[in-house]
Parts: sequence; C-alpha cells; structure tokens
Amino acid sequence: MQHDTTTSPESATDRELALADWLRARGRVAVGYSGGVDSAYLAVLARRTLGAGATLAIIGRSPSYPAEQWATARRVAEQFDVEVLELDTDELNDPRYAANPNNRCYFCKTELWGRVIPAAEARGFSTVADGTNADDLGDYRPGAQAAREHRVASPLALFGFTKADIRARSRALGLPTWQQPSSPCLSSRLPYGTSVTPARLQQVERAEAALRGLGIAGDLRVRYHDDLARVELSHEILHEWLRPARTRELCRALREAGFARVALDLRGFRSGSLNVLHGVAGAA
Amino acid sequence: MSVRRVIGGGSPQGEALAAALAERGVFGRVEARGPLAIIVTDAAGAEQLGDAELRRAALAIAREQGFSHLAVELGAPAAGDASLPGG
Repeated sequence: MQHDTTTSPESATDRELALADWLRARGRVAVGYSGGVDSAYLAVLARRTLGAGATLAIIGRSPSYPAEQWATARRVAEQFDVEVLELDTDELNDPRYAANPNNRCYFCKTELWGRVIPAAEARGFSTVADGTNADDLGDYRPGAQAAREHRVASPLALFGFTKADIRARSRALGLPTWQQPSSPCLSSRLPYGTSVTPARLQQVERAEAALRGLGIAGDLRVRYHDDLARVELSHEILHEWLRPARTRELCRALREAGFARVALDLRGFRSGSLNVLHGVAGAA
Repeated sequence: MSVRRVIGGGSPQGEALAAALAERGVFGRVEARGPLAIIVTDAAGAEQLGDAELRRAALAIAREQGFSHLAVELGAPAAGDASLPGG
C-alpha cells in the first residue's frame, strides 16, 4: 500500500474518479468482501469500472460473520452482477483468536488473508483490496497490520474516502447499502478476555436479530457480559426503549435469546465501545 | 415521584456512585463490573432516565467516578431488594 504518496482529491466524486483510475491501472482486482458499506461500494465500483471477469468479491465465512450480513453480501453481488467466491475461514480454532486478546482482529485477518490471497492468485488476481476507509485509520485496528503483511491494498483509504463519502457515492450508484449501519464481526460484542465460542456468537446474533424483529433500525449492538446483555441503541431512540411497555418487549426478546439479565447503555451506541471499556489506545 | 429510594448494596465504588446518583434524583443499587456500572432500579427508575438531560448528568457523574460505561438494568427482578422507605 502507498497511503502516504497520494494527495486526496477534494470531493467524493473526484475521489471516485481517482479510484476508478487506480482500478483500471490494475486491470483485475479481487475485493475482500463482507457486504458492508465499504466493501460493497468498492466491489460494485470495481465491477462497473473493470467489467465482468475482472472483478472478484471474496467472502470469508465463519461463525463470527453475521448471517444477515452474508445475505446482504449475496443480494448486492447478485443485483450488481459481481462475481463472488466464498471461502470458509477457521479463526475460532486458533487459540490466539479464541482467547479474545485486544489484538484478536490481527489473528482473524491473518486467517482471512491467508486464505483469500492464494485463492485470488489462483484465479489470476494479483491485486487484492479491502474496504478500509480514511476514518478507519484513526481507530484501533490491529487487523490492518495483517492486511499490510499480506500486501492488501486499501484504495478507499488511499484516496481519502470517509464513511460519509462512501455512503454518498453508494447512494449515487444505487447501492442499497448506502444507509446500512456498520456491522463489524460478532466477536466485537464480546469484551476482550471473554473467550470467543460459536455458542456465544450465536447468542449475540440471536439477540440482535430479535431486537431487529422489534423494529429497531439503525445502529444496534448487544454487548455480551456473561449473564447480562448490554444493549446499545442510537441515542435518539433511547427514551422510547426506557418506557415500561417497550422495556418488557426488549427483556422478553433478550431472555429468549439466552440472557438472564438485560441492561440498556445510557450513552447509547458507540463504535468500539468495548475498546473504550478496556482502555485500548486509539479507541473513541 | 414513584421511584423507590434504593441505594448501595454493592462494591464501595458502586455504593459511592449510587449515592452520587441519588443526589441527582436517580435512585438504585449500582453494580460495578470494572469500568462498567449498572444501575439496578425499578421500572419507574429506568423510565425517568429517558430524560436526556438527566441521562447526561448521570453519565457525567459516572465518568467523574471513573466509570466509562453506565447502563440501567431493565426488568430487574431484584430492584426492590434493598429498597428504603421514601420517594
């Protein structure tokens, strides 16, 4: 990657033009693809710029990858005619990952790129890119180190795309993901030091799906604290879910998902909340 | 106000925060789990935290006492266990 050698264009549209030039210069590009806002935009732009056969979106599937996200990824790829390759990853069987240290993402991404890069190369893709954006660069993201070690390019960050830019350009391109909430892997709901197991990930996924079923849109996280679910909702809707009738609905849904106790975070949703809880450097 | 005056019932850090919150009108037991504080109160106590200004005040108090996160338990069956008369 060459993050420090490019001056960011002024506007999101200019950035998109620069990104398209970058893609054309590479000819064939594989994208590490989750169906999230960033990788969906990159994959669709690559497909539009490079044409069929020159873009490959590669999904790494594991228990930490939400099923809802997977469905979105497949739907978007189908809608925009992006070729998809799905690979299984096995980070949960890496004890360094399962122990859930604060650099857990490094081991996950090492596993992911360790499988994606050879698969891409075997299909004639020498450039592999991810959806890291310029906003991500200020966060604590040990997974970025694994990407660097595997020479994964981050063109959205390279050209200075912020999350807002990506949402704006996604909307312009007609991507349904433009207003999709950010959706990091399910392991991000477990505090560091709490071991990552398929059962816990499934419990969190069930819980979040149940809350979506109650009509909660927008940002939402169910943070796992053993017997207790700590729910983070958008600040704007907190008051609604503190009313007794809604509280009862919330509790019922989360108890059915396997949590004995339910708490609502009074600050509301914040990305990287568990980084803050653990005082991890770079956390918001 | 129908909120029961419930304070204390946990760790020293939790009790100190519970006392500080009670001064601001937020009554409940506080369970401290490291930098996470959980207010255990009844339905009315939880509902009053729907007020954004009160919530901001409670968060500021929690921060002053060294907690990075403050949550309120919902549907807590034991909320009244340590209740005191009044309110």
